[in-house]
Amino acid sequence: MSNIAGKAYAMNVITPMRWYKVWLNRLIFWAALKAPNVLNGLLTLSLIHYARWVIIPRDKFPRLDPSQPKEELEYSYMMFFSNFNGSWAQYVDSFTFAIPSGLDLFWKMNVRYPKSVPLTPFHDYIQHNQIDTSHYYTAYPMAASNDVKSAKNVKKALIDFNAASSNKSPDEFLEDYNKLLNQLQHDFGEMRPTPIVSLAAQAVKERYMETQAGNR
Amino acid sequence: MASKSGNATALTVLSPIVNGIVDGKSFADITRERSLRIPIHEKSPLAKVPNTYLARLFILDNVFYESLPGSDSVFNFSEITSILSDSARKKALPRKDQLKSKYLVFSSNFYGDLDEYLTGMWEKWSYDDNGQQRDVRYIWEHCVAFEGVSDATSFIRYIKRCQLDATLFFNGSTDDSLQEQLKALYLKQEFSKFAAAHQGKSAADVQQAFKAFIARVQPENLSQPSWQPGQSTP
Repeated sequence: MSNIAGKAYAMNVITPMRWYKVWLNRLIFWAALKAPNVLNGLLTLSLIHYARWVIIPRDKFPRLDPSQPKEELEYSYMMFFSNFNGSWAQYVDSFTFAIPSGLDLFWKMNVRYPKSVPLTPFHDYIQHNQIDTSHYYTAYPMAASNDVKSAKNVKKALIDFNAASSNKSPDEFLEDYNKLLNQLQHDFGEMRPTPIVSLAAQAVKERYMETQAGNR
Repeated sequence: MASKSGNATALTVLSPIVNGIVDGKSFADITRERSLRIPIHEKSPLAKVPNTYLARLFILDNVFYESLPGSDSVFNFSEITSILSDSARKKALPRKDQLKSKYLVFSSNFYGDLDEYLTGMWEKWSYDDNGQQRDVRYIWEHCVAFEGVSDATSFIRYIKRCQLDATLFFNGSTDDSLQEQLKALYLKQEFSKFAAAHQGKSAADVQQAFKAFIARVQPENLSQPSWQPGQSTP
């Protein structure tokens, strides 16, 4: 089991909702998509790489063959997948503190959703409905979501600066170079494990090394 | 489509696993064990599947019973009726659901077109499993109707039958190609080191070193030098 890959954490949550409320929940998500300011709260949580909500009506679980038993469910289900940096508690708490009303809006239709405030029942709810990941992969284990975004700024600024500075005198070059460093100071930073990414990521690594050595 | 955010795509796949047991192990447990044994980081088969940002595999064994206290409605009528009646109180409890199949869940965030991505999965997914080379069929082998999959076209058709559309896909990162993201990360890393190493040097020295730096890192060459997908050490 590994919910962790380097600096990223994979969260999977599945929660039931009454089947006749699915349309209302879809409407809420649709409205959130149409009014991007609703999602601005999520943008402030800059620790997220990508996240998604998937609503599965109770009769829409994939059935590929008549030999597969047909699901007979009381509830429809909402699955939530997130890829974020930091610990589980940091993430869940940041939702509660940054966007409690938006969070409640998305989960409101779910059975026994306790609301995001106060914190402890919300922690219990997520833990109760969370499923561990078997294999988790990120293309950049050493990079946080903010690193990916800031790297884009660095790349563009570096290319622009190189094009603009090629024929300058050393003094003019240095002046512009210092301006560039000032401009990018929030985007700099080396990405390292130093000395380990986290105790959890280290545990994943050690467990993996054990399985590779055939010691399990 | 809610599964797209710019050029980034959210793929959600629920593949039902055959109900059955072989040598005392259920097909779901066999699939889980195989998923758990996949090598991590740069050795993951997903590092070879072009344009995968982040992806995961897990088994959905069942859904959960909502046994914790809580309320999901603004006004819950049963809370009134159940004050007066024991049977109303019991009926106000959440219902119990049981899945009849277990599902292999594959969730990926990637750049670009779905068909192209799935072709990449079919063609490139490979890894070493204690000396045995495994392809993508090894993970999906015990899923319902997967025996009909024999090439990229039938694999794409199969995965699309298992696909669920996202109701909301949130992109908190970028939607650039993976090669673009990895090159940018490489440049951020290298330029951060360069800036730290050249503080306080003369204008001529910095200018000369910068020229050599640009020649080395080749900012506009996406293929190299760069970070490799899944690279776990700087």
